[in-house]
Amino acid sequence: MRQLRAWFLRLGGFFSKKRSDREFAQEMESHLQMHIDDNLRSGMTPGEARRNALIKLGGVAQAEEKYRERRGIPALETFAQDLRFAVRMLLKNPGFTFVAILILAMGIGANTAMFSVVHAVLLKPLAYSEPDRIVTLATFWRADAHQSQVSGPDYHDWHDQSDAFESMASYNHQDTAVTVGTGSGATAEYAHAAAVTAEFFNVFAISPAAGREFSADELKPGSAGAAILSYTFAARHFGEAGDALGKPLHIAGKNLAIVGVMPLGFRFPEKTDVWIPVDAQEMGSSLRSAHNYKVVGRLRTGVTLEQAQAQMNAIGARIERKYPDSNSGLSVAVTRLRDQMVGDYRLTLYMMLAAVGVVLLIACANLANMLLAKAVGRAREIAIRAAVGASRIRIVRQLITESVVLALLAGGLGVALAFWGSRALVALAPADVPRLAEAGIDGRVLFFALGVSLAASLLFGLAPAMQVMRVDLNMALKQSAQRTGGGSLADHMRQALVVAEIALSVILVAGAGLLIKSFVALQNVSLGFQIEHVLVVETSVPSSDLESARRASRFYRDLLPRLRAIPGVLSAGATGAPPGDTRSDGGYYIDHLPATFNVSAPNAVYSVVAPDTFATVGIPLRAGRDFNEGDTYEAPFVAVINEALARQAFPNQDPIGHSIYCGLDSMNPMKIVGIVGNIRQYGPARDPSPEIYMPNEQHPQPATDLTLLMRTSMQPGTLSPAVREKIRELSPEVPVKFTTMEVLTSENIAVPRFRTLLLGIFAALAVCLALAGVYGVMSYVVGQRVNEIGLRMALGASQGDVLRLVLRQTVLMTGLGITVGLAGAAAVTQLLTSLLFGVKATDPGTYAAVVALLVLAALAASYIPARRAMRVDPMVALRYE
Amino acid sequence: MSSKADVWQGTLALMVLKTLQTLGPLHGYGIARRIEQTSGDLLSVNYGTLYPALLKLEQEGYINSEWGQSDNNRKAKYYRLTRAGRKQLAKEAQEWGQATAILARFLAPGVEQS
Repeated sequence: MRQLRAWFLRLGGFFSKKRSDREFAQEMESHLQMHIDDNLRSGMTPGEARRNALIKLGGVAQAEEKYRERRGIPALETFAQDLRFAVRMLLKNPGFTFVAILILAMGIGANTAMFSVVHAVLLKPLAYSEPDRIVTLATFWRADAHQSQVSGPDYHDWHDQSDAFESMASYNHQDTAVTVGTGSGATAEYAHAAAVTAEFFNVFAISPAAGREFSADELKPGSAGAAILSYTFAARHFGEAGDALGKPLHIAGKNLAIVGVMPLGFRFPEKTDVWIPVDAQEMGSSLRSAHNYKVVGRLRTGVTLEQAQAQMNAIGARIERKYPDSNSGLSVAVTRLRDQMVGDYRLTLYMMLAAVGVVLLIACANLANMLLAKAVGRAREIAIRAAVGASRIRIVRQLITESVVLALLAGGLGVALAFWGSRALVALAPADVPRLAEAGIDGRVLFFALGVSLAASLLFGLAPAMQVMRVDLNMALKQSAQRTGGGSLADHMRQALVVAEIALSVILVAGAGLLIKSFVALQNVSLGFQIEHVLVVETSVPSSDLESARRASRFYRDLLPRLRAIPGVLSAGATGAPPGDTRSDGGYYIDHLPATFNVSAPNAVYSVVAPDTFATVGIPLRAGRDFNEGDTYEAPFVAVINEALARQAFPNQDPIGHSIYCGLDSMNPMKIVGIVGNIRQYGPARDPSPEIYMPNEQHPQPATDLTLLMRTSMQPGTLSPAVREKIRELSPEVPVKFTTMEVLTSENIAVPRFRTLLLGIFAALAVCLALAGVYGVMSYVVGQRVNEIGLRMALGASQGDVLRLVLRQTVLMTGLGITVGLAGAAAVTQLLTSLLFGVKATDPGTYAAVVALLVLAALAASYIPARRAMRVDPMVALRYE
Repeated sequence: MSSKADVWQGTLALMVLKTLQTLGPLHGYGIARRIEQTSGDLLSVNYGTLYPALLKLEQEGYINSEWGQSDNNRKAKYYRLTRAGRKQLAKEAQEWGQATAILARFLAPGVEQS
């Protein structure tokens, strides 16, 4: 307590120095006077009295110093002194300071911005109660270690047989038509709806902000059902969350009563607006081979992920033994929700963070170089300070204080840059990165920036400090300020730093080069369909049973001719999933069904399409015919297959006329009537899969939500109003969402574009910094060797000789840097393998280009210093001494 | 310079507190003189070293100070013992008594008077 009080007073003393100095002087003065008075009284002469009093008081200066030490905190005072001195030094050299802060601020800003994204997406806990207990459960396919959705019966077994989970729920979700309210004013809109089982909200330990959860009755098969809204959706339609309760909602062909509104911010999964009870009947009776649901669970308190996984393994094995037809080769994967959400982005984001860290390293190397040059220039000043008694530690502390001040200033500016950079990153990133919108500068990000700044200050402050530690006092004092070289150690250090900069740049540029090459390859892949001038309109016709689904078929049958009649529309079709996307896939059988189904049947993508769709998007008809108006529900079932399926199932045979079976909605045989060209359904990075096209009218239930496709003679977007009007005329219950094929396909490669662009930017930054480093060192070297160069020229060296002299050093440094860098790149780019497409991590072309780029850049950077060297006037240089 | 012993570390504070308890509020000069006199001029106080010690005691809250007039009308800073200072003095005095008693007993048998 007493100690603490004293410390606070001393801290106070640190700030009220002047006043207290005066008071001490007064006290000394009064002490002296009283002593002199006494001495006089005892008979001394005035002179003697004063002398005696002064001796007795001891060294006033010493006492004062001790008093001061006691009053304040000496370390703090030294620090304040260093700080003042550092600021003075930085102000004395505004150009240097400005450049140094700018370089460093860019490095720190880029790191902070990147970290804000990594923090929001990867590190920050999910905004649910005890988020680490929330896991996802998925079907695990041992053959290729991939995870998929879960079948209804499997889910029920998992749920009933496990006890590692406090609660477990399954759900599925999609964009669907929702009409709020009734009457003439109500129009349909797209909303994200999730159909969930009973314990869904328990998994997140969340309860409605208004109203209640689903009752047991509402969850029963065949009940009237109910709906729960997200806060934002409720607020948008009803103003107040509470006002939504009891109002009707039309969704999936049913009128449901709104019974609850969830708290603001809860929208799992994705951006859900409406939760409804899952169709228990469909879920319970559906096949084990139909993987249509996702599953989440909440671990019981104290149960670890590993324990839960072990238990699910056992349950999975039991199910596998019991149902070998549907479940052989399948197990269960338990993953933390956060890890599952982040999935593919983890590698990309950490790679970017590493890359931006390398940029900062290069910036630090640059700064170390600049400070080293300055420290050498200051060798004399430092030697003098050492000579008058400053300890080395004290001097090093001074230098480090300067570095820290520099780094903190740069950190401040860097955070300002990061505000902007973080927003830019969010704008650049693919739209579906989870939680990206939360990225911003918060306390933890600021703390990171501070940490990075301090670490950086140590990194670049160390080299000059080490240099100072070994300055030879005598030498430094004897030499003139101009000629005080740092000796060979400083020169070596400087060159080593530049070599490191070049090496790091090589790694980044090689990585960027590989990604750019992959990206170009991705973009050049032919997708198999037309991209330009195609308008894409998502629609959804509400339906609940076969009857209403067939009404949906009629709606599309009526709509398509009207769309074709719009001026500017060349051709129109409709499909269950736009090209480049898939909604459904599974096994298929040729000519006859096997006695038992098994999971090893060959797989194909299932698509429902309307007549004329192939022509609309430019998928070529290779043989047979397209669907037409005659392929109705009552007509014989037909199918069109793609070339990949024809090759796989009919080697050396004509497929046309054979029949094919698949479990899209029924196991009716379909006669193959046509063959079309392949498209890449899973984006440019994957080869085309076999695909079965079926006429939408013959499969009404999977064909109630079709995507309209229109080839246009003008900018597709300009037709949107006319299309919207035609759809409204026919049915106001159908919501629409417009986009174009160009936008859709570019979204497919948004992730590679993001990482290519970012790494490209970072690599460019790295090269610029490395160039600055080469330029700095070469300028310095030339400056140091002016005399030598002058002498050589006086002795007859030509300008060419001088040029060679300078360039030799550049080439040496660059060559060494590139060699080291290539070795590093060969190791590091292995990590990129999974991100590359159409190019190997060891692509010689890329490496050759990297080497050429850096050599040229380094030569360019040393051009100015070299030219200066060539223009050295021997007379001036020699007289200089 | 002289054969007098310097005030040894740690005891100055105790002497200051005791002096203030005995004489009441006093200025630095007075305290220094009093310590010298009490020691029978065996101790030599470098008067300057007193002030940091006074500052420390004040920071710790054992004494406080205010400016006043001395007997012969000089302005001087007067130090006064606080309640905490009184307690501290009692505690330290007791500790010292103990320490010296122990040492005395320790040294007694082997002491060679010379």
